[in-house]
Amino acid sequence: MRKKLTGILAGIGLSLAYSTSAFAQELTIFWAEWDPANYLQELVNQYEAETGVKVTVETTPWSDFQTKAFTEFNAKGSAYDMVVGDSQWLGAASEAGHYVDLTQFVKDNKVLDTMAPATVKFYSEYPGNSGKYWSIPTEGDAVGWSYRKDWFEDPKEMEAFKAKYGYDLAPPKTWKELTDIAEFFHRPDQKRYGIAVYTQNQYDGMAMGVENALFSYGAELGDFSTYQVEGIVNSDKAVAALENYRKLVEFTPPGWTNAFFVENNQAITENLAAMSMNYFAFFPALVNEASNPNAKSTGFFANPAGPGGDQFAALGGQGISIVSYSQNQEEAFKFLQWFIKDETQKKWAELGGYTCNKAVLESAEFQNATPYNKAFYETMFKVKDFWAVPEYAELLTQLNQRVYPYIVNGEGTAKETLDALAADWTGTFKKYGRLK
Amino acid sequence: MAAVTTTTERSLNKLAIVAVLIVTVIFLAPIYWIASTAFKPRNLATTVPPTVVFTPEISPFVKLFTKRSQLRTAPTPEEYAAAPWWERLVFDGGEKVVRSGRGEVQWSGYPNRFMNSLIVAISSTILAVGMGTFTAYGFSRFKVKGEQDLLFFILSTRMLPPVVVAIPMFLMYRAVGLNDTHWGLIILYTAFNLSFSVWLMKGFMDEIPKEYEEAALVDGYTRIQAFFKVVLPEAATGIAATAVFCFITAWNEYAFALIMTNRRAQTAPPFIPSQVGSGLPDWTVIAAGTFLFLLPVAIFTFLLRNHLLRGMSFGAIRK
Amino acid sequence: MATAALTTLDPRSRAAARGWSDITIRNLFIIPTILFLIVFNIFPLIYSLGYSFTDFRASTNAAANFVGLQNYRELLNDPYIWNNFAVTAKYVIVSVVGQVVVGFGTAMLLNRDIPFKGLLTTLLLLPMMLSMAVVGLFWKLLYDPSFGIINYVLGLGNFEWVGNADMALYAVALTDIWMWSPFVMLLSLAGLSAVPKHLYEAAAIDRAGSFYTFFRITLPLVAPILMIAIIFRTMEAFKTFDLAYVLSTQPTTEVISIRLYKMAFQEWQTGRSCALAYIVLIMVLAITNIYVKYLNKVKER
Repeated sequence: MRKKLTGILAGIGLSLAYSTSAFAQELTIFWAEWDPANYLQELVNQYEAETGVKVTVETTPWSDFQTKAFTEFNAKGSAYDMVVGDSQWLGAASEAGHYVDLTQFVKDNKVLDTMAPATVKFYSEYPGNSGKYWSIPTEGDAVGWSYRKDWFEDPKEMEAFKAKYGYDLAPPKTWKELTDIAEFFHRPDQKRYGIAVYTQNQYDGMAMGVENALFSYGAELGDFSTYQVEGIVNSDKAVAALENYRKLVEFTPPGWTNAFFVENNQAITENLAAMSMNYFAFFPALVNEASNPNAKSTGFFANPAGPGGDQFAALGGQGISIVSYSQNQEEAFKFLQWFIKDETQKKWAELGGYTCNKAVLESAEFQNATPYNKAFYETMFKVKDFWAVPEYAELLTQLNQRVYPYIVNGEGTAKETLDALAADWTGTFKKYGRLK
Repeated sequence: MAAVTTTTERSLNKLAIVAVLIVTVIFLAPIYWIASTAFKPRNLATTVPPTVVFTPEISPFVKLFTKRSQLRTAPTPEEYAAAPWWERLVFDGGEKVVRSGRGEVQWSGYPNRFMNSLIVAISSTILAVGMGTFTAYGFSRFKVKGEQDLLFFILSTRMLPPVVVAIPMFLMYRAVGLNDTHWGLIILYTAFNLSFSVWLMKGFMDEIPKEYEEAALVDGYTRIQAFFKVVLPEAATGIAATAVFCFITAWNEYAFALIMTNRRAQTAPPFIPSQVGSGLPDWTVIAAGTFLFLLPVAIFTFLLRNHLLRGMSFGAIRK
Repeated sequence: MATAALTTLDPRSRAAARGWSDITIRNLFIIPTILFLIVFNIFPLIYSLGYSFTDFRASTNAAANFVGLQNYRELLNDPYIWNNFAVTAKYVIVSVVGQVVVGFGTAMLLNRDIPFKGLLTTLLLLPMMLSMAVVGLFWKLLYDPSFGIINYVLGLGNFEWVGNADMALYAVALTDIWMWSPFVMLLSLAGLSAVPKHLYEAAAIDRAGSFYTFFRITLPLVAPILMIAIIFRTMEAFKTFDLAYVLSTQPTTEVISIRLYKMAFQEWQTGRSCALAYIVLIMVLAITNIYVKYLNKVKER
């Protein structure tokens, strides 16, 4: 009887699993399980209406997205025709031949002219400055900031702030102001804290936050064309940036040692912090009153400038690539041609996608559509990214191992930390023959 | 211990009852909290102190089963009125249901994965307990050369962190095409549970007096008939206890499910905790997923509860 | 082990004449299992032993180069790896000891005339029926210093359970203890209820103290099954991955499985992770071997 039941269950399971593959004209896009993927589904529904080609966006949770995508690639699986992959994957996926070379497509369709330059550079090009392109910028994203307007605009607070720091309390324009404000609002006795930053010691969690400080301080992770890191990632600017980040961590809510996008959004919804860094992609939840009781009083600003006036932000987001093992490459190319059209990109932005299309980004219509779009626009022209080499995850691990103890537990100094990191990275690049 | 009922003994007993109740409350509090969160409105999920009195909602379950995205513009009153009751619940939560180009409602990954979990856990439990019973009988009743070493080998197969086995398994499965199939996971979980099943069942088998079979043999049964007609019914209790443990393990396995399956055979455990697509976890939905996922295994255990305790004491491995 | 083999049938008896011989049955019952386990455990291990001497990466399809003992050498010289092992050892000890104390203690309490004993026992098993990753997620919320319920109930203010580097491992172990003490409890209860009552009665007549009764009668008789619980819990604790991975990212909670997962499936250093897997394997085998030897000794008493 139990066997029979299993048989029935197996039958149901199989029919569920296979029922979607009956259409002839069909494309499957693989992405992570989050709202932008749902918006993309809505967008491609229109493609189906126009052309009759059914496009399905398949999703898997973020936590296993990378593993799942590469598992499928390695098996040369044709399940996915396209994948909306992280920018760091470019090296691994292109060197291993998982992605179709889109260089010609990019040139023929003038993608370089229509998309914001920084996005093409980081979502599409690999190796850096090589002129070879592997994807089309799809979901632009970067790390920005949300803040509590009601706290900032409280007259009493404004007065006290002015008295203490000598300038007006407003969304910070520099990292110095950011740090001052964090210090100002940090009041553990009132269960109010200054700021929420990324501290999660896994994959790229903390790295994304630290990059925000590093880049705005005018520091770099290394030279992306020569792989030189010594003297760059441990430069004086980088050391100062890391010290500043460490200082911010002191103004975080208690136990803020495993924080990434979820925790940082909670910092706003649970009334914990005055300011919170996060990917723009997660801001829609903050303006939704159903998920954020403080939606009305949540504001947004772009990553502020460093002491030298540099202003950059860490890049998130993904580009769409055609999988080499897909059996519908021709259809996929047609789809991409449709996807990069200005009208499509406009629609994409309306649905909630973060377009990388220059014209759309610059339009007043886009910038006024949400409270955070303007900050997004400002950010997307000044983003920088992590290494995209195939061994990027090893570099991330080394960064986590070195930087986390300093940032979170205050072990050692910033200089020691970054010197050790530079040595680690040099070793890794030597191991892979990128550095002599 | 009824023979020595003294006053101290009685007051000790009362003390024990109180202590047991305290322990039970401590152990069950988190479970109660998860279960109650599954029926809470979203804004009451993380309140401190926890909200105890509330009007239960069904919306977490509706959300659990549908693919949703943030509502960017509120639905018009007509749209709202035209929507079915469950879609209105999603609207009320500031979200909308995602539909395909043909207007079909998109399901979340949950129902499919739940089904996969059922298939994989039930099949692998049957296999592991079945094979374990035979093997345990073999070890218990016959002389086996190097019995201790073989039993240790069987045990050793469970010692490896799944991640250790996962790498070569992953490569091997890829080579033979078992990746991302139900069978792939079923085989893995069977292999995984087999050691436990053999060790536990051997304890039970050792306890069944061999005179029972000998009597059956004298009555003209063959050894196989004796095994099925005499030994198995005697071992039923042990089988039930073993099955509960194997089922619990297979049902909740996470690491292999994460690594070895992709789209067709994914099970639910890696899915439930990742309902954070919008960057804010909806605890009520995660709790609803957890609660539903706890039901089959809790029911299974509850049905076999009498066997469980008796079975365990019966199988107490002793001389 | 415990039972001697069944008296061999008289080959001329009627029973032996019909059906399969004992040898056939034995082989038929045992060999498939052994073969199955060899194919799905030993085979992959040989496979990965080979890879452990190469620089293979499963994320590319490039050929693997033989690098000799380099992976092993580098791993054993990596202080972070040693930290992972130290963390794992500490975690295993804390969580298994905790589970035995709580589990066995609860079993002692339950091994009396308690109303609704069966129901209570079943209810107590609920924590172990949950998935580890889900438990991790909810406990992270329970532990939260700002809006967690544990601090509220215990009046601990902002106490950092999983956030603090020194406390995190104990907090993770505590969750594991909550989840798996019921397992130890169930097995202990089984052992306890099998202790013949007349032994206690005899002890009572001899006016033996409860201390004496416990250490001389209860414990030795429950020891074998308790050992089995300990063996399985130790192995499981050694394998812990999901719980620690979700609850905390302090280096003080990075158990070896987490490092292995990152190395194998995030960094895709397949060759090197195979080497690490082998180092882990040898350690677990050694530990379990000691346990099993001890178990057999306990049983012989």
